[in-house]
Amino acid sequence: MLSVVARAGTVSPYLRAACLAVAGPLSAVSPAAVVKKDTVLLDANKPLLCGHCARTGPTVSSRLNAVAGVRFAHTDIRVPDFSVYRRPEVMDPKKSAQDSGDARKVFSYLMTGSTAVLGVYAAKTVVTQFISSMSASADVLALSKIEIKLSVIPEGKNMTFKWRGKPLFVRHRTEKEIATEASVNLSELRDPQHDKDRVTNPKWVIVIGVCTHLGCVPIANAGEYGGYYCPCHGSHYDASGRIRKGPAPLNLEVPYYEFPDDETVIVG
Amino acid sequence: MALSRTLYGLLFKKTSTFAVTIMVGAVVFERVFDQAGDALFEGLNRGKLWKHIKHNYEKEE
Repeated sequence: MLSVVARAGTVSPYLRAACLAVAGPLSAVSPAAVVKKDTVLLDANKPLLCGHCARTGPTVSSRLNAVAGVRFAHTDIRVPDFSVYRRPEVMDPKKSAQDSGDARKVFSYLMTGSTAVLGVYAAKTVVTQFISSMSASADVLALSKIEIKLSVIPEGKNMTFKWRGKPLFVRHRTEKEIATEASVNLSELRDPQHDKDRVTNPKWVIVIGVCTHLGCVPIANAGEYGGYYCPCHGSHYDASGRIRKGPAPLNLEVPYYEFPDDETVIVG
Repeated sequence: MALSRTLYGLLFKKTSTFAVTIMVGAVVFERVFDQAGDALFEGLNRGKLWKHIKHNYEKEE
């Protein structure tokens, strides 16, 4: 009933009369708290929702042989003891807490910081492991390379190898071809690229044998420029693999390769 | 006391320096932790790893 009064808000003064009538046979939570007075009246002038009773409201207790009394909830609650949760530096109430403030803060931040460091390390490791699991493994990388013995290719000849499922042209150029390709005017080219940008060693031209037009395999030592000629739609490439005539838009692609010594080349 | 005061003022007081401390700490910690882990692994498996027995199989040329 009293909770109804407490919640009623503006109409609570009208309900207050009922407060006294309710004093029924509720058993006391703590007999020591029973106020032994002849009559207990709620003071009409006193605000009902005061600071003391805002949380719980007043409790009405009575016994059969005693008159009703008002007991506030906090009267039998012990003052809580938080010493379990306190730092040892602030256990003594007579000591200044400021003196140990820095040490306590350093401890707190050190704990936070080291947790964060561990978290960053763990996150970085997980991400690295996950990403590196997507990259190609060593056996796949080993298959992607091809080693070619250059001594088997005579001068002026072109040899085709299979590399990553595509034809690979390795061409041993003559001195005359080297001189011709080096002296080509770049303004005549559709895809301007100097010969020295396409070869590491001018004697060897290594290109992927796929026509840049529609992907046919060109024929070596053919066409108007003496390099490659694509039979599908008539693209002419020169001895450096550059497009000179026909529908193809780009030069033949140069893969990555290196010469570990004079006799071998490793493509890939 | 003086050390903790310096440490707090220099590293932890500002969020920016705290974050930098965490990042630098993570880099240092990663290196130390990984190397310590590898050293422990190699110490426990001494004589069993390829790099420990490699010289038995390699011929001098």
